Amino acid sequence: MSFLLGANMTGGYGGADILHDCTIGVEKGEIAVVVGPNGAGKSTAMKAIFGMLNLRQGQVTIDGDDITNLKPEERVLKGMGFVPQTNNVFTSMSVEENLEMGAFIRRDDISQTMEQVFELFPILKEKRKQPAGELSGGQRQQVAVGRALMTQPKVLMLDEPTAGVSPIVMDELFDRIIEVARTGIAILMVEQNAKQALNIADKGYVLVQGENRYTDTGAALIANPDVRRAFLGG
Amino acid sequence: MTDILNALVILANFIFVPAMAYGSQLALGALGITMVYSILRFSNFAHGELMSFGAMTTILVTWALQSSDISLGIFPTALLAIPVAILVTVVLAVAIDKSVYQYYRKIRAEPVTLLIVSIGVMFFLSGLVRFIIGPKDQVFTDGQRFIMKARAFKQMTGLNEGLAIKMTQGITVVTAFVLVAVVFWFLNKTRTGKSMRAYSDNEDLALLSGINPERVVLITWVITAALAAVAGTLYGLDKSYKPFTYLSLLLPIFSAAIVGGVGNPLGAIAGGFVIAFSELTITFAYKKVLTYLLPESMAPDTLMQLLSTDYKIALSFVILVIVLIFKPTGLFSGKTI
Repeated sequence: MSFLLGANMTGGYGGADILHDCTIGVEKGEIAVVVGPNGAGKSTAMKAIFGMLNLRQGQVTIDGDDITNLKPEERVLKGMGFVPQTNNVFTSMSVEENLEMGAFIRRDDISQTMEQVFELFPILKEKRKQPAGELSGGQRQQVAVGRALMTQPKVLMLDEPTAGVSPIVMDELFDRIIEVARTGIAILMVEQNAKQALNIADKGYVLVQGENRYTDTGAALIANPDVRRAFLGG
Repeated sequence: MTDILNALVILANFIFVPAMAYGSQLALGALGITMVYSILRFSNFAHGELMSFGAMTTILVTWALQSSDISLGIFPTALLAIPVAILVTVVLAVAIDKSVYQYYRKIRAEPVTLLIVSIGVMFFLSGLVRFIIGPKDQVFTDGQRFIMKARAFKQMTGLNEGLAIKMTQGITVVTAFVLVAVVFWFLNKTRTGKSMRAYSDNEDLALLSGINPERVVLITWVITAALAAVAGTLYGLDKSYKPFTYLSLLLPIFSAAIVGGVGNPLGAIAGGFVIAFSELTITFAYKKVLTYLLPESMAPDTLMQLLSTDYKIALSFVILVIVLIFKPTGLFSGKTI
Protein backbone atom coordinates (compact mmCIF):
# COMPACT_ATOMS: atom_id res chain seq x y z
CA MET A 1 0.00 0.00 0.00
CA SER A 2 1.36 3.37 -1.01
CA PHE A 3 2.39 6.00 1.54
CA LEU A 4 -0.24 8.38 0.19
CA LEU A 5 -3.10 6.66 -1.53
CA GLY A 6 -6.35 7.84 -3.03
CA ALA A 7 -8.09 4.54 -3.67
CA ASN A 8 -11.12 3.96 -5.91
CA MET A 9 -12.10 7.62 -5.78
CA THR A 10 -15.48 8.49 -7.28
CA GLY A 11 -16.92 11.98 -7.05
CA GLY A 12 -17.23 15.47 -8.52
CA TYR A 13 -18.27 19.01 -7.70
CA GLY A 14 -21.90 17.99 -7.19
CA GLY A 15 -23.94 16.91 -10.18
CA ALA A 16 -22.21 14.42 -12.46
CA ASP A 17 -19.16 12.53 -11.23
CA ILE A 18 -15.84 13.53 -12.73
CA LEU A 19 -13.72 10.80 -11.16
CA HIS A 20 -14.72 7.19 -11.71
CA ASP A 21 -13.03 4.61 -9.51
CA CYS A 22 -9.73 6.42 -9.86
CA THR A 23 -6.70 5.28 -7.87
CA ILE A 24 -3.53 7.28 -7.38
CA GLY A 25 -0.71 6.62 -4.95
CA VAL A 26 2.84 7.68 -4.22
CA GLU A 27 5.71 6.37 -2.10
CA LYS A 28 8.09 8.33 0.12
CA GLY A 29 11.02 9.75 -1.82
CA GLU A 30 9.34 9.03 -5.12
CA ILE A 31 7.78 11.21 -7.78
CA ALA A 32 4.39 10.25 -9.14
CA VAL A 33 3.05 12.14 -12.15
CA VAL A 34 -0.55 12.33 -13.31
CA VAL A 35 -0.94 13.08 -17.01
CA GLY A 36 -3.80 12.97 -19.45
CA PRO A 37 -5.73 15.05 -21.94
CA ASN A 38 -7.63 18.21 -20.99
CA GLY A 39 -10.67 17.49 -18.89
CA ALA A 40 -9.38 14.09 -17.81
CA GLY A 41 -9.91 15.00 -14.17
CA LYS A 42 -6.23 15.39 -13.26
CA SER A 43 -6.66 18.49 -11.14
CA THR A 44 -9.91 17.11 -9.76
CA ALA A 45 -8.07 13.99 -8.61
CA MET A 46 -5.53 16.20 -6.80
CA LYS A 47 -8.27 18.20 -5.16
CA ALA A 48 -10.00 15.00 -4.11
CA ILE A 49 -6.83 13.72 -2.46
CA PHE A 50 -6.35 17.04 -0.68
CA GLY A 51 -9.94 17.15 0.53
CA MET A 52 -11.21 20.06 -1.51
CA LEU A 53 -13.88 17.86 -3.03
CA ASN A 54 -16.32 15.41 -1.48
CA LEU A 55 -15.89 11.83 -2.53
CA ARG A 56 -18.92 9.62 -2.99
CA GLN A 57 -16.82 6.48 -2.89
CA GLY A 58 -13.28 5.51 -2.14
CA GLN A 59 -10.86 6.63 0.54
CA VAL A 60 -7.69 8.58 1.01
CA THR A 61 -5.02 7.29 3.34
CA ILE A 62 -1.66 8.61 4.44
CA ASP A 63 0.74 6.17 6.06
CA GLY A 64 -2.23 3.86 6.58
CA ASP A 65 -4.31 6.55 8.35
CA ASP A 66 -7.73 7.14 6.84
CA ILE A 67 -8.03 10.90 6.18
CA THR A 68 -11.03 10.77 3.82
CA ASN A 69 -13.18 12.96 6.05
CA LEU A 70 -10.58 15.55 7.03
CA LYS A 71 -10.68 19.16 5.84
CA PRO A 72 -7.74 20.48 3.79
CA GLU A 73 -6.34 22.41 6.78
CA GLU A 74 -6.40 19.25 8.85
CA ARG A 75 -4.58 17.36 6.10
CA VAL A 76 -1.84 19.98 6.25
CA LEU A 77 -1.38 19.02 9.89
CA LYS A 78 -1.15 15.37 8.80
CA GLY A 79 1.88 16.26 6.70
CA MET A 80 0.46 17.16 3.33
CA GLY A 81 1.55 20.21 1.36
CA PHE A 82 -0.35 21.51 -1.64
CA VAL A 83 0.71 23.97 -4.33
CA PRO A 84 -2.35 25.12 -6.29
CA GLN A 85 -2.01 25.80 -9.99
CA THR A 86 -2.91 29.49 -9.83
CA ASN A 87 -2.94 32.17 -7.14
CA ASN A 88 -0.40 30.15 -5.21
CA VAL A 89 1.52 33.01 -3.60
CA PHE A 90 0.56 36.03 -1.48
CA THR A 91 1.37 38.65 -4.11
CA SER A 92 1.42 41.68 -1.82
CA MET A 93 3.70 40.05 0.73
CA SER A 94 7.45 39.64 0.58
CA VAL A 95 9.06 36.30 -0.28
CA GLU A 96 10.10 35.89 3.33
CA GLU A 97 6.59 36.62 4.60
CA ASN A 98 5.19 34.10 2.12
CA LEU A 99 7.42 31.45 3.63
CA GLU A 100 6.46 32.52 7.16
CA MET A 101 2.80 32.19 6.28
CA GLY A 102 3.50 28.75 4.85
CA ALA A 103 4.75 27.79 8.30
CA PHE A 104 1.77 29.39 10.06
CA ILE A 105 0.65 26.17 11.74
CA ARG A 106 4.10 25.61 13.22
CA ARG A 107 4.85 27.02 16.63
CA ASP A 108 8.53 26.04 16.74
CA ASP A 109 11.53 27.79 15.23
CA ILE A 110 11.18 27.96 11.47
CA SER A 111 14.49 29.62 10.61
CA GLN A 112 16.17 26.33 9.80
CA THR A 113 13.45 25.25 7.38
CA MET A 114 13.62 28.65 5.76
CA GLU A 115 17.37 28.25 5.29
CA GLN A 116 16.74 24.88 3.63
CA VAL A 117 14.24 26.47 1.25
CA PHE A 118 16.74 29.23 0.45
CA GLU A 119 19.38 26.55 -0.21
CA LEU A 120 17.03 24.82 -2.59
CA PHE A 121 16.02 28.08 -4.31
CA PRO A 122 18.95 30.49 -3.91
CA ILE A 123 17.24 33.19 -5.96
CA LEU A 124 14.59 33.49 -3.25
CA LYS A 125 17.19 34.41 -0.67
CA GLU A 126 18.30 37.25 -2.90
CA LYS A 127 14.73 38.46 -3.31
CA ARG A 128 13.51 37.73 0.20
CA LYS A 129 12.38 41.32 0.84
CA GLN A 130 10.64 41.74 -2.50
CA PRO A 131 6.87 41.31 -2.87
CA ALA A 132 6.13 37.93 -4.47
CA GLY A 133 3.84 39.64 -6.99
CA GLU A 134 6.84 41.39 -8.54
CA LEU A 135 8.70 38.16 -9.32
CA SER A 136 8.80 36.33 -12.66
CA GLY A 137 6.58 33.31 -13.27
CA GLY A 138 9.32 30.80 -12.55
CA GLN A 139 10.40 32.56 -9.37
CA ARG A 140 6.82 32.73 -8.21
CA GLN A 141 6.50 28.98 -8.63
CA GLN A 142 9.61 28.60 -6.49
CA VAL A 143 7.99 30.74 -3.81
CA ALA A 144 4.86 28.61 -4.07
CA VAL A 145 6.80 25.37 -3.68
CA GLY A 146 8.90 26.90 -0.91
CA ARG A 147 5.77 28.03 0.92
CA ALA A 148 4.39 24.49 0.85
CA LEU A 149 7.72 23.06 2.06
CA MET A 150 7.70 25.30 5.14
CA THR A 151 5.44 22.92 7.07
CA GLN A 152 8.03 20.16 6.49
CA PRO A 153 5.44 18.01 4.73
CA LYS A 154 5.80 14.29 4.12
CA VAL A 155 3.89 14.62 0.87
CA LEU A 156 4.06 17.50 -1.57
CA MET A 157 1.30 17.85 -4.13
CA LEU A 158 1.88 20.10 -7.12
CA ASP A 159 -0.83 21.10 -9.56
CA GLU A 160 0.91 21.91 -12.85
CA PRO A 161 3.99 23.57 -11.38
CA THR A 162 5.38 24.39 -14.81
CA ALA A 163 2.24 26.00 -16.26
CA GLY A 164 3.17 29.18 -18.04
CA VAL A 165 6.95 29.04 -17.53
CA SER A 166 9.61 28.78 -20.23
CA PRO A 167 11.17 25.37 -21.12
CA ILE A 168 14.48 26.32 -19.46
CA VAL A 169 12.75 27.31 -16.23
CA MET A 170 10.68 24.15 -16.46
CA ASP A 171 13.81 21.96 -16.56
CA GLU A 172 15.20 23.83 -13.59
CA LEU A 173 11.99 23.44 -11.61
CA PHE A 174 11.95 19.70 -12.36
CA ASP A 175 15.56 19.47 -11.13
CA ARG A 176 14.52 21.13 -7.88
CA ILE A 177 11.55 18.83 -7.52
CA ILE A 178 13.85 15.82 -7.90
CA GLU A 179 16.04 17.30 -5.16
CA VAL A 180 13.02 17.66 -2.89
CA ALA A 181 12.06 14.04 -3.55
CA ARG A 182 15.61 12.93 -2.64
CA THR A 183 15.10 14.33 0.87
CA GLY A 184 12.47 11.62 1.35
CA ILE A 185 9.34 13.59 0.55
CA ALA A 186 6.69 11.92 -1.58
CA ILE A 187 5.81 14.05 -4.61
CA LEU A 188 2.57 13.86 -6.50
CA MET A 189 2.12 16.18 -9.41
CA VAL A 190 -0.17 16.88 -12.30
CA GLU A 191 1.58 17.92 -15.50
CA GLN A 192 0.70 19.22 -18.95
CA ASN A 193 4.25 18.71 -20.18
CA ALA A 194 3.68 14.99 -20.06
CA LYS A 195 6.87 13.77 -21.74
CA GLN A 196 9.28 15.77 -19.59
CA ALA A 197 7.32 15.01 -16.44
CA LEU A 198 7.23 11.27 -17.09
CA ASN A 199 10.98 11.42 -17.66
CA ILE A 200 11.55 12.29 -14.01
CA ALA A 201 8.66 10.20 -12.68
CA ASP A 202 9.08 7.01 -10.72
CA LYS A 203 5.45 6.30 -11.34
CA GLY A 204 3.05 7.64 -13.94
CA TYR A 205 -0.71 7.66 -14.15
CA VAL A 206 -2.51 8.33 -17.40
CA LEU A 207 -6.05 9.46 -16.68
CA VAL A 208 -8.79 9.60 -19.27
CA GLN A 209 -12.27 10.79 -18.40
CA GLY A 210 -11.69 10.35 -14.72
CA GLU A 211 -10.49 6.76 -14.99
CA ASN A 212 -7.06 5.17 -14.78
CA ARG A 213 -6.09 4.26 -18.36
CA TYR A 214 -2.43 3.32 -17.91
CA THR A 215 -0.40 2.99 -14.74
CA ASP A 216 3.28 2.13 -14.84
CA THR A 217 6.74 3.47 -14.16
CA GLY A 218 7.53 6.71 -15.95
CA ALA A 219 10.04 5.06 -18.25
CA ALA A 220 7.67 2.23 -19.16
CA LEU A 221 4.91 4.68 -20.04
CA ILE A 222 7.23 6.63 -22.31
CA ALA A 223 8.28 3.38 -23.94
CA ASN A 224 4.70 2.21 -24.38
CA PRO A 225 3.77 2.84 -28.05
CA ASP A 226 0.05 3.24 -27.28
CA VAL A 227 0.74 5.91 -24.68
CA ARG A 228 3.21 7.62 -27.00
CA ARG A 229 0.79 7.74 -29.88
CA ALA A 230 -2.24 8.86 -27.90
CA PHE A 231 -0.81 11.16 -25.24
CA LEU A 232 2.77 12.12 -25.94
CA GLY A 233 2.46 13.18 -29.57
CA GLY A 234 4.28 10.25 -31.20
CA MET B 1 9.75 89.72 4.95
CA THR B 2 7.37 90.12 7.90
CA ASP B 3 4.56 90.29 5.34
CA ILE B 4 5.49 86.88 4.05
CA LEU B 5 5.76 85.52 7.60
CA ASN B 6 2.39 87.00 8.49
CA ALA B 7 0.86 85.39 5.42
CA LEU B 8 2.40 82.04 6.34
CA VAL B 9 1.12 82.29 9.90
CA ILE B 10 -2.40 82.88 8.60
CA LEU B 11 -2.11 79.81 6.41
CA ALA B 12 -0.73 77.76 9.28
CA ASN B 13 -3.41 78.96 11.66
CA PHE B 14 -6.41 78.51 9.40
CA ILE B 15 -5.33 75.70 7.10
CA PHE B 16 -2.35 73.68 8.27
CA VAL B 17 -3.22 73.17 11.94
CA PRO B 18 -6.94 72.45 11.48
CA ALA B 19 -6.26 70.28 8.42
CA MET B 20 -3.71 68.21 10.33
CA ALA B 21 -6.27 67.57 13.07
CA TYR B 22 -9.17 66.96 10.68
CA GLY B 23 -6.93 64.84 8.45
CA SER B 24 -5.90 62.69 11.41
CA GLN B 25 -9.54 62.08 12.31
CA LEU B 26 -10.37 61.15 8.71
CA ALA B 27 -7.29 58.96 8.46
CA LEU B 28 -8.27 56.95 11.55
CA GLY B 29 -11.80 56.56 10.20
CA ALA B 30 -10.59 55.58 6.73
CA LEU B 31 -8.18 53.07 8.24
CA GLY B 32 -11.16 51.35 9.88
CA ILE B 33 -13.10 51.31 6.60
CA THR B 34 -10.10 49.91 4.77
CA MET B 35 -9.51 47.16 7.35
CA VAL B 36 -13.08 45.91 7.07
CA TYR B 37 -12.97 46.20 3.31
CA SER B 38 -9.79 44.22 2.88
CA ILE B 39 -10.62 41.44 5.36
CA LEU B 40 -14.41 41.15 5.30
CA ARG B 41 -14.63 42.41 1.72
CA PHE B 42 -17.46 44.89 2.03
CA SER B 43 -17.88 48.64 2.47
CA ASN B 44 -18.95 49.18 6.05
CA PHE B 45 -21.46 52.02 6.09
CA ALA B 46 -22.00 51.57 9.81
CA HIS B 47 -18.48 52.81 10.55
CA GLY B 48 -19.52 56.44 11.10
CA GLU B 49 -22.12 55.38 13.66
CA LEU B 50 -19.60 53.09 15.32
CA MET B 51 -17.41 56.18 15.76
CA SER B 52 -20.41 58.01 17.15
CA PHE B 53 -21.11 55.16 19.58
CA GLY B 54 -17.48 55.21 20.74
CA ALA B 55 -17.58 58.96 21.28
CA MET B 56 -20.86 58.66 23.16
CA THR B 57 -19.40 56.05 25.49
CA THR B 58 -16.42 58.31 26.12
CA ILE B 59 -18.79 61.15 27.00
CA LEU B 60 -20.80 59.05 29.44
CA VAL B 61 -17.65 57.81 31.17
CA THR B 62 -16.23 61.35 31.17
CA TRP B 63 -19.35 62.64 32.91
CA ALA B 64 -19.06 59.89 35.49
CA LEU B 65 -15.41 60.77 36.08
CA GLN B 66 -16.14 64.50 36.28
CA SER B 67 -18.93 63.98 38.79
CA SER B 68 -16.55 62.06 41.02
CA ASP B 69 -13.97 64.84 40.64
CA ILE B 70 -11.41 62.89 38.69
CA SER B 71 -9.57 64.90 36.06
CA LEU B 72 -6.35 64.90 34.11
CA GLY B 73 -5.24 68.46 34.92
CA ILE B 74 -4.50 70.33 31.74
CA PHE B 75 -5.58 67.41 29.54
CA PRO B 76 -9.22 66.60 28.82
CA THR B 77 -10.74 64.02 31.16
CA ALA B 78 -11.97 62.21 28.04
CA LEU B 79 -8.49 60.73 27.59
CA LEU B 80 -9.08 58.69 30.76
CA ALA B 81 -12.43 57.55 29.41
CA ILE B 82 -11.16 56.42 25.99
CA PRO B 83 -9.89 52.98 27.13
CA VAL B 84 -13.32 52.17 28.54
CA ALA B 85 -14.96 53.42 25.35
CA ILE B 86 -12.63 51.24 23.26
CA LEU B 87 -13.56 48.22 25.32
CA VAL B 88 -17.30 48.84 25.08
CA THR B 89 -17.13 49.59 21.34
CA VAL B 90 -15.09 46.44 20.71
CA VAL B 91 -17.65 44.35 22.60
CA LEU B 92 -20.45 45.95 20.58
CA ALA B 93 -18.69 45.44 17.24
CA VAL B 94 -17.93 41.79 17.99
CA ALA B 95 -21.50 41.24 19.19
CA ILE B 96 -22.84 42.74 15.96
CA ASP B 97 -20.49 40.56 13.95
CA LYS B 98 -21.57 37.39 15.74
CA SER B 99 -25.27 38.20 15.56
CA VAL B 100 -25.44 39.75 12.09
CA TYR B 101 -22.43 39.57 9.78
CA GLN B 102 -21.38 36.02 10.69
CA TYR B 103 -24.59 34.65 9.23
CA TYR B 104 -24.01 36.43 5.91
CA ARG B 105 -20.44 35.14 5.79
CA LYS B 106 -21.69 31.62 6.37
CA ILE B 107 -24.08 31.78 3.44
CA ARG B 108 -21.31 33.43 1.40
CA ALA B 109 -23.36 36.55 0.69
CA GLU B 110 -22.26 38.93 -2.06
CA PRO B 111 -20.36 42.04 -0.94
CA VAL B 112 -23.29 44.22 -1.98
CA THR B 113 -25.59 42.25 0.34
CA LEU B 114 -23.17 42.83 3.21
CA LEU B 115 -23.04 46.51 2.31
CA ILE B 116 -26.81 46.75 2.61
CA VAL B 117 -26.69 44.81 5.86
CA SER B 118 -24.17 47.36 7.13
CA ILE B 119 -26.62 50.15 6.27
CA GLY B 120 -29.14 48.36 8.47
CA VAL B 121 -26.57 48.19 11.25
CA MET B 122 -25.91 51.90 10.70
CA PHE B 123 -29.57 52.76 11.31
CA PHE B 124 -29.67 50.50 14.35
CA LEU B 125 -26.58 52.12 15.85
CA SER B 126 -27.71 55.66 15.13
CA GLY B 127 -31.03 54.87 16.82
CA LEU B 128 -29.23 53.31 19.78
CA VAL B 129 -27.01 56.37 20.19
CA ARG B 130 -29.93 58.78 20.02
CA PHE B 131 -31.87 56.62 22.44
CA ILE B 132 -29.06 56.71 24.98
CA ILE B 133 -27.68 60.24 24.73
CA GLY B 134 -30.23 62.09 22.61
CA PRO B 135 -29.72 64.01 19.36
CA LYS B 136 -28.43 67.22 20.93
CA ASP B 137 -24.99 68.78 20.98
CA GLN B 138 -22.76 67.69 23.88
CA VAL B 139 -19.62 69.50 24.91
CA PHE B 140 -17.29 67.40 26.98
CA THR B 141 -13.94 69.09 26.51
CA ASP B 142 -12.29 70.25 29.71
CA GLY B 143 -8.77 70.94 30.90
CA GLN B 144 -6.62 73.58 29.25
CA ARG B 145 -8.06 74.81 25.96
CA PHE B 146 -4.94 75.91 24.13
CA ILE B 147 -1.41 74.65 23.76
CA MET B 148 -0.55 77.92 22.07
CA LYS B 149 -2.73 81.02 22.25
CA ALA B 150 -2.88 83.49 19.39
CA ARG B 151 -1.98 86.43 21.61
CA ALA B 152 0.95 84.63 23.19
CA PHE B 153 2.23 83.78 19.74
CA LYS B 154 1.98 87.42 18.66
CA GLN B 155 3.91 88.59 21.72
CA MET B 156 6.51 85.88 21.24
CA THR B 157 7.17 86.62 17.58
CA GLY B 158 6.12 90.24 17.27
CA LEU B 159 4.02 89.40 14.20
CA ASN B 160 0.59 90.86 13.48
CA GLU B 161 -1.02 87.51 12.99
CA GLY B 162 -1.49 84.90 15.70
CA LEU B 163 -1.14 81.15 15.59
CA ALA B 164 -3.40 79.21 17.91
CA ILE B 165 -3.12 75.51 18.53
CA LYS B 166 -5.94 73.95 20.50
CA MET B 167 -5.16 71.26 23.03
CA THR B 168 -7.62 68.96 21.24
CA GLN B 169 -5.82 69.49 17.95
CA GLY B 170 -2.49 68.58 19.48
CA ILE B 171 -3.95 65.51 21.16
CA THR B 172 -5.67 64.46 17.93
CA VAL B 173 -2.52 64.55 15.85
CA VAL B 174 -0.34 62.84 18.46
CA THR B 175 -2.90 60.11 19.23
CA ALA B 176 -3.54 59.44 15.55
CA PHE B 177 0.17 59.19 14.86
CA VAL B 178 0.75 56.75 17.72
CA LEU B 179 -2.27 54.64 16.83
CA VAL B 180 -1.37 54.43 13.15
CA ALA B 181 2.19 53.45 14.06
CA VAL B 182 0.88 50.69 16.33
CA VAL B 183 -1.50 49.37 13.67
CA PHE B 184 1.26 49.32 11.04
CA TRP B 185 3.68 47.64 13.41
CA PHE B 186 1.02 45.04 14.17
CA LEU B 187 0.21 44.36 10.51
CA ASN B 188 3.82 44.17 9.35
CA LYS B 189 5.72 42.66 12.23
CA THR B 190 3.51 40.31 14.19
CA ARG B 191 2.52 36.82 13.17
CA THR B 192 -1.19 37.57 13.64
CA GLY B 193 -0.92 40.81 11.68
CA LYS B 194 0.81 39.08 8.82
CA SER B 195 -1.83 36.37 8.80
CA MET B 196 -4.44 39.13 8.40
CA ARG B 197 -2.57 40.51 5.41
CA ALA B 198 -2.25 37.02 3.98
CA TYR B 199 -5.97 36.44 4.41
CA SER B 200 -6.73 39.74 2.74
CA ASP B 201 -4.34 38.94 -0.12
CA ASN B 202 -5.45 35.39 -0.93
CA GLU B 203 -8.22 33.81 1.10
CA ASP B 204 -7.88 30.28 -0.32
CA LEU B 205 -4.14 30.10 0.14
CA ALA B 206 -4.52 31.46 3.67
CA LEU B 207 -6.91 28.60 4.42
CA LEU B 208 -4.42 26.12 2.96
CA SER B 209 -1.78 27.59 5.24
CA GLY B 210 -3.93 26.88 8.27
CA ILE B 211 -4.95 30.48 9.00
CA ASN B 212 -8.27 30.53 10.86
CA PRO B 213 -10.60 33.00 9.10
CA GLU B 214 -12.91 33.52 12.08
CA ARG B 215 -9.96 34.57 14.21
CA VAL B 216 -8.78 36.98 11.53
CA VAL B 217 -12.28 38.46 11.33
CA LEU B 218 -12.47 38.79 15.12
CA ILE B 219 -9.18 40.65 15.34
CA THR B 220 -10.22 42.88 12.45
CA TRP B 221 -13.31 43.96 14.38
CA VAL B 222 -11.29 44.56 17.53
CA ILE B 223 -8.91 46.87 15.67
CA THR B 224 -11.67 48.54 13.66
CA ALA B 225 -13.79 49.22 16.74
CA ALA B 226 -10.82 50.56 18.68
CA LEU B 227 -9.93 52.88 15.80
CA ALA B 228 -13.56 53.98 15.51
CA ALA B 229 -13.88 54.74 19.21
CA VAL B 230 -10.71 56.83 19.22
CA ALA B 231 -11.49 58.61 15.94
CA GLY B 232 -15.03 59.39 17.07
CA THR B 233 -13.86 60.73 20.40
CA LEU B 234 -11.15 62.88 18.84
CA TYR B 235 -13.62 64.35 16.37
CA GLY B 236 -16.09 65.06 19.18
CA LEU B 237 -13.41 66.64 21.36
CA ASP B 238 -12.25 68.85 18.53
CA LYS B 239 -15.63 69.95 17.19
CA SER B 240 -18.21 69.09 19.92
CA TYR B 241 -20.26 65.92 19.80
CA LYS B 242 -23.51 65.73 17.85
CA PRO B 243 -24.82 62.37 16.64
CA PHE B 244 -25.88 63.73 13.26
CA THR B 245 -22.41 64.90 12.25
CA TYR B 246 -21.15 61.33 12.20
CA LEU B 247 -23.52 60.49 9.38
CA SER B 248 -22.12 63.27 7.21
CA LEU B 249 -18.60 62.38 8.34
CA LEU B 250 -19.07 59.02 6.63
CA LEU B 251 -18.76 60.69 3.22
CA PRO B 252 -15.30 62.27 3.57
CA ILE B 253 -14.10 59.12 5.33
CA PHE B 254 -15.15 56.93 2.42
CA SER B 255 -13.63 59.37 -0.02
CA ALA B 256 -10.40 59.26 1.95
CA ALA B 257 -10.29 55.46 1.88
CA ILE B 258 -11.01 55.31 -1.86
CA VAL B 259 -8.76 58.21 -2.84
CA GLY B 260 -5.87 56.54 -1.03
CA GLY B 261 -6.62 53.16 -2.57
CA VAL B 262 -9.18 51.07 -0.78
CA GLY B 263 -7.77 48.08 1.06
CA ASN B 264 -4.40 49.80 1.43
CA PRO B 265 -3.79 51.05 5.02
CA LEU B 266 -1.11 53.50 3.96
CA GLY B 267 -3.47 54.88 1.33
CA ALA B 268 -6.18 55.42 3.94
CA ILE B 269 -3.87 57.66 5.95
CA ALA B 270 -2.72 59.61 2.91
CA GLY B 271 -6.30 59.85 1.65
CA GLY B 272 -7.44 61.33 4.97
CA PHE B 273 -4.93 64.14 4.72
CA VAL B 274 -5.52 64.72 1.00
CA ILE B 275 -9.24 65.19 1.65
CA ALA B 276 -8.72 67.36 4.73
CA PHE B 277 -6.18 69.64 3.09
CA SER B 278 -8.19 70.00 -0.12
CA GLU B 279 -11.37 70.82 1.77
CA LEU B 280 -9.66 73.54 3.77
CA THR B 281 -7.46 75.03 1.06
CA ILE B 282 -10.28 75.28 -1.45
CA THR B 283 -12.87 76.74 0.92
CA PHE B 284 -10.46 79.18 2.60
CA ALA B 285 -10.79 82.94 2.01
CA TYR B 286 -7.37 84.14 0.87
CA LYS B 287 -8.08 87.86 1.05
CA LYS B 288 -5.86 88.56 4.06
CA VAL B 289 -3.04 86.37 2.83
CA LEU B 290 -2.98 88.12 -0.53
CA THR B 291 -3.18 91.54 1.09
CA TYR B 292 0.08 90.72 2.85
CA LEU B 293 1.77 89.28 -0.21
CA LEU B 294 0.73 91.62 -3.00
CA PRO B 295 1.62 95.27 -3.44
CA GLU B 296 -1.04 97.57 -2.03
CA SER B 297 -2.39 98.54 -5.43
CA MET B 298 -3.20 94.92 -6.23
CA ALA B 299 -4.85 94.11 -2.91
CA PRO B 300 -8.06 92.14 -3.53
CA ASP B 301 -11.36 93.53 -2.43
CA THR B 302 -13.30 90.27 -2.60
CA LEU B 303 -12.92 87.35 -0.18
CA MET B 304 -10.78 85.42 -2.70
CA GLN B 305 -12.54 82.21 -1.78
CA LEU B 306 -12.69 79.48 -4.41
CA LEU B 307 -15.77 77.84 -2.95
CA SER B 308 -18.05 78.63 -0.06
CA THR B 309 -17.59 76.43 3.02
CA ASP B 310 -21.08 75.06 2.40
CA TYR B 311 -19.52 72.94 -0.34
CA LYS B 312 -17.06 71.24 2.00
CA ILE B 313 -18.74 67.84 1.87
CA ALA B 314 -19.34 68.06 -1.88
CA LEU B 315 -15.67 68.74 -2.37
CA SER B 316 -14.60 65.36 -1.07
CA PHE B 317 -16.74 63.87 -3.82
CA VAL B 318 -15.17 66.05 -6.48
CA ILE B 319 -11.76 64.78 -5.38
CA LEU B 320 -13.11 61.26 -5.34
CA VAL B 321 -14.41 61.56 -8.89
CA ILE B 322 -11.17 63.07 -10.14
CA VAL B 323 -9.12 60.26 -8.59
CA LEU B 324 -11.45 57.59 -9.91
CA ILE B 325 -11.19 59.00 -13.42
CA PHE B 326 -7.43 59.31 -13.53
CA LYS B 327 -6.30 56.58 -11.15
CA PRO B 328 -9.16 54.18 -10.40
CA THR B 329 -7.11 52.13 -7.91
CA GLY B 330 -6.45 55.22 -5.79
CA LEU B 331 -3.20 57.01 -5.07
CA PHE B 332 -1.59 53.97 -3.45
CA SER B 333 -3.01 51.34 -5.79
CA GLY B 334 -5.49 49.49 -3.67
CA LYS B 335 -8.04 47.12 -5.11
CA THR B 336 -10.51 48.37 -7.68
CA ILE B 337 -13.99 48.26 -6.26
